[in-house]
Amino acid sequence: MTHFSYLVVILFVALCAVSVNFGFRLRIGSRWLELLQTELIILAIYLSWDTWAIAKKSWFFDHHQIVDIDVLPKVPIEEFLFFLVVPIMIILSYQALLKLTGWGGSEQGNDL
Amino acid sequence: MIYSDIALDAVVVAILTDLFLLRTQMITRGIFWLTYALIFPFQLITNWWLTSRKIVQYSTSEIIGRRLAGAPIEDLLFGFSMILMTLALWEFFKQRKVRRS
Repeated sequence: MTHFSYLVVILFVALCAVSVNFGFRLRIGSRWLELLQTELIILAIYLSWDTWAIAKKSWFFDHHQIVDIDVLPKVPIEEFLFFLVVPIMIILSYQALLKLTGWGGSEQGNDL
Repeated sequence: MIYSDIALDAVVVAILTDLFLLRTQMITRGIFWLTYALIFPFQLITNWWLTSRKIVQYSTSEIIGRRLAGAPIEDLLFGFSMILMTLALWEFFKQRKVRRS
């Protein structure tokens, strides 16, 4: 079970993301292209940084608490999933707040 | 170049990208800071989870040593940079699509 210690955090964030998306009727899927463009750049930047930092041992992981599958040299799959899921959650939080506050001007959450 | 340096650089790069490269001006908008304020406590919770269980550990030579919710203070800079970069890119691609349609 401890192998999933990191993974449960990501699953928690993913669960929040799904709830916010449907709870606030954000229909993020209809903006899949912009989402994909943003994701690719964020993944490129932060996974490069992560790969470099892990290589120089800035930080390291407890191999008993991760599923221990590497996506890049010594970069656990959890790190990849983190940089995949967290930006989606950031965007959903932003879109939900735009909708709640009405600060988006002409852009109302409904016609996302 | 330790984590502290790079984390600070990441914040500067994100701000320059937002203001001058993408011209999304996110840091001048209230909605950005509101979003940041919402996400911030969640970052502290995940930081606490990951560090208190020692899922991730940091080399002491790579950080200045000050910590918040278990994680190096540098993590706040990293978090800020990623939130700003993500929202600047998102707004940029959203606005670009509107301009094209």
